[in-house]
Amino acid sequence: MEKLKRNMIVLRGQENGRKSVFSLPSLFRWNRLIALLGAIAVLLFFVYPILKLVLLSFQGEQGLTLSHYNELLQQERFWSTLRNTVYIVIGSTVFSLVIGTALAWVVAYTDIRHKSALHMGIMLCFILPSYVLTLSWSSFTGSQSWLAHVLQWIHPDLAPWSMYSMGGIVFVMGIHHFPLVYMFTLDVLRKIPRDLEWAARAGGASRIEVFRRITLPLALPGLTAGGLLVFLASLDNFGIPAFLGTPVNISVLSTLIYEEIIGFGPSAFARGASLSVLLGAAAVVGSLLQWLLLRKSHASDTMQPDLTPRYELGRMRKPLAFAIWAGLALITIIPLSSMISMSLKRAYGLGLTRANMTLDNYRYILFENERVWQAIQNSLVLSLVTMLACLIIGSGFAYIRVRKPNQFNKMAELATAVPYTLPGIVFALSMILVWMEPVPGWNPGIYGTMTILFIAYICRFLILQIRSSVTSFMQLDASMEEAARISGAGFWRKWTAVLLPLLLPGILTGGMLVFLTALTELTVSALLYSSGSQTIGVTIFSFEQAGDTLYSTALSSLIVALIAAGGVILLIAQRWATRKGVKS
Amino acid sequence: MIPFKKSLLLPLLAGMIVFSGCSAQGQATPDQNGSGGASSTVSGKLSFYTSQPEEDAGKLVNAFNDKYPDVQVSIFRSGTEEVTAKLQAERQAGKTQADVLLLADAVTFENLKKDDLLQAYKSPELSAIPTDLVDPDGMYAGTKVMATVLATNTQKVTVQPTSWQVLTLPESKDASIMPSPLYSGAAAYNIGVFSRTDGFGWDFLQETKMNGMSVIKGNGAVMKAVASGEKSYGVVVDYLVAREKAKGSPVELIYPEEGVPIITEPIGIMKEAANVPAAQAFVDFILSEEGQKLSAEIGYSPIREGVSPPEGLKGVSEMKILPGDAAKLAVDRETDKQQFINVFGE
Repeated sequence: MEKLKRNMIVLRGQENGRKSVFSLPSLFRWNRLIALLGAIAVLLFFVYPILKLVLLSFQGEQGLTLSHYNELLQQERFWSTLRNTVYIVIGSTVFSLVIGTALAWVVAYTDIRHKSALHMGIMLCFILPSYVLTLSWSSFTGSQSWLAHVLQWIHPDLAPWSMYSMGGIVFVMGIHHFPLVYMFTLDVLRKIPRDLEWAARAGGASRIEVFRRITLPLALPGLTAGGLLVFLASLDNFGIPAFLGTPVNISVLSTLIYEEIIGFGPSAFARGASLSVLLGAAAVVGSLLQWLLLRKSHASDTMQPDLTPRYELGRMRKPLAFAIWAGLALITIIPLSSMISMSLKRAYGLGLTRANMTLDNYRYILFENERVWQAIQNSLVLSLVTMLACLIIGSGFAYIRVRKPNQFNKMAELATAVPYTLPGIVFALSMILVWMEPVPGWNPGIYGTMTILFIAYICRFLILQIRSSVTSFMQLDASMEEAARISGAGFWRKWTAVLLPLLLPGILTGGMLVFLTALTELTVSALLYSSGSQTIGVTIFSFEQAGDTLYSTALSSLIVALIAAGGVILLIAQRWATRKGVKS
Repeated sequence: MIPFKKSLLLPLLAGMIVFSGCSAQGQATPDQNGSGGASSTVSGKLSFYTSQPEEDAGKLVNAFNDKYPDVQVSIFRSGTEEVTAKLQAERQAGKTQADVLLLADAVTFENLKKDDLLQAYKSPELSAIPTDLVDPDGMYAGTKVMATVLATNTQKVTVQPTSWQVLTLPESKDASIMPSPLYSGAAAYNIGVFSRTDGFGWDFLQETKMNGMSVIKGNGAVMKAVASGEKSYGVVVDYLVAREKAKGSPVELIYPEEGVPIITEPIGIMKEAANVPAAQAFVDFILSEEGQKLSAEIGYSPIREGVSPPEGLKGVSEMKILPGDAAKLAVDRETDKQQFINVFGE
């Protein structure tokens, strides 16, 4: 109400032009200025890079041309890459959907025990950076692993399935992404009203029929959206195919773009750009489909999730629980321990015996290689600054977006979603193109410095914060603000005493998400780093590329320890917060 | 008069700040006294781009820092081809960021020289380096002698081969591996040499491909595959094999009878180097007796006369070398890379 009135006054002030000497019109002009600056920033940081990328892919010696695309379509290499990409994306999406949906069904509908622990265990696969998971699996199935020895002991010809293959990439990608499907589906399943199912049962339908005619149709939009999410994540993933595919000449679109740019330099920019446009277009189409589907299943948004179990497992409860836990251990804990044991070896070709064990690899990366320290420091600073910047900009924008929704900030939100929707490698290339020469003839000289990484990270992860903050503000009714103001609280008091305590948990969750994602980021930094601005992900990747697996596994093991410590701190903090009565 | 002066003072100051800012943009003038910055007064930042393994580059830098503690060296390490691509990108972005380069082979430096990215520096240490391994214009100088050899896994291979031809024979079917010329400078050089040597040529490479030769990124990765027994035969630079063997890995090093291609890992200073005195001191150190002894300790065959090669490696005088013409190979490098893509089909 209050706002409406003020807006009216502001509008009238505008009508009266300069005649009014109140501060409101000037305030209005102030607002206009901020809106203008915001629009310019959005255009420069989010829209311009993409335009530049698309333009470059059509740019020839004289004017516009399709020659770069033509050249691509002529290359056998491009078609084999496209084939690989399609197989890998489809394969891993199907794999993730099956595991994710099955686990979501068990957690949502049955009376299996320790659900919250199970939830954590499932999320672990996603929290671990993809390259850590990849290194774990490649050491677990390597020809030197104890798995290989066990198989050889059973039968001399048995060898573990090599991860350096299409199947390996599909498998690792699948286990890395299934938690996404799980998260998405869990919520969808819980919102399917059970009275519909009961009604069908009462009408004489069998369990199978109920599932086919009630549950599935209701869950389908949500499931498809979850599937598309994994599809996008697979298109975007660079770490898994780079670690597993590159050594055996299996390239996918993201690694092909990387190799073109890194191997041929600026002469390959146009080729890389046209590849990027194709990859980016696939991602945009996927996102649009997802958005349409989610709009269709909007009806279930008003439902309260129903948390009570619908199926009694009875005697099956213990065996099923055991099977799930064993499966989770097999896909994460065991490969992880295999990676850690690899990092303790004296030389790569040796078995793990007492005599061959050493801490030398850790000593080297911690005390003898300054670049590793530099990388850890860079990653920490990058992720902290990115988190803070996103917290301030993202939450500020979210507040305006929720309180004064209009066409303009809706568009702005869409624009900020672009860098995260696009595959990382595509986004990174567009950043290079823009910041090499933002305006023809002017070089700000930030390419190859930390600055470009800051810009890229903030642009890429801002949307994560905006989404979390928007959700937080949505849950907070405007009446709270009004009540605070009516009770005589000023701006400052209103925020510190009323709003922030209510909003903080949601906003901070977004901040943590940004921090963690930025800390272990690989794709964007792989294209943008330079000497002195290397990140943790890039360092592990470089070690692995140079064949220094003992170092890459050692550093990865350290990162796992860091993430674990962070997780423990987060848990303690949450406990403390709930005890203080702030509920997230 | 005085007010007038005062009014001038501010713009003058501002102008001075602006101009001093401009001249401080790193256009360091080369050392004119020819001593090559051998005084211990060199300091500041030095950006070192290399294709050497991380660990070795780190050891060189640490030893250099013992002598010149005031220089902060930052290392950028990747495959030779990637480092040069990066330099090209930086050049497009306005300014190359490297001061000193140490990359795989003379061919790479010939190309950089052609692109006018290097500056001449004739180090006093060059007197003890073979003249045919140094650029006559002083743009770059070799720092070591590195042969590409055959490595075998001793658990898989009982009879050690003596010829490169083993890679086309049934005993190495699907069991051999080599580095990619699209990433490794040494590999790009080897492809150039093999494809132009009588008795080999592209046909030989084609045959190895038909025989199931795998291509992996760098030399380190090739060594890893052979040490672990994933592959039995590897085409790889000599020092890696000697080093792994010394650590206890089950590997053997073979100099085939036809001869071996050698690269010299030259060092050169960038034209746009921001810290020329430190760059020159660095070059002197790498070529000096002290630097060469350290290099031999790390496991490389030294280039300087009078420093003996490490255990298990031949010195430059004991090898049979497959010759390569750096200037010619430089012109053809891109076509060689393309031809390789055609033959090995990526």
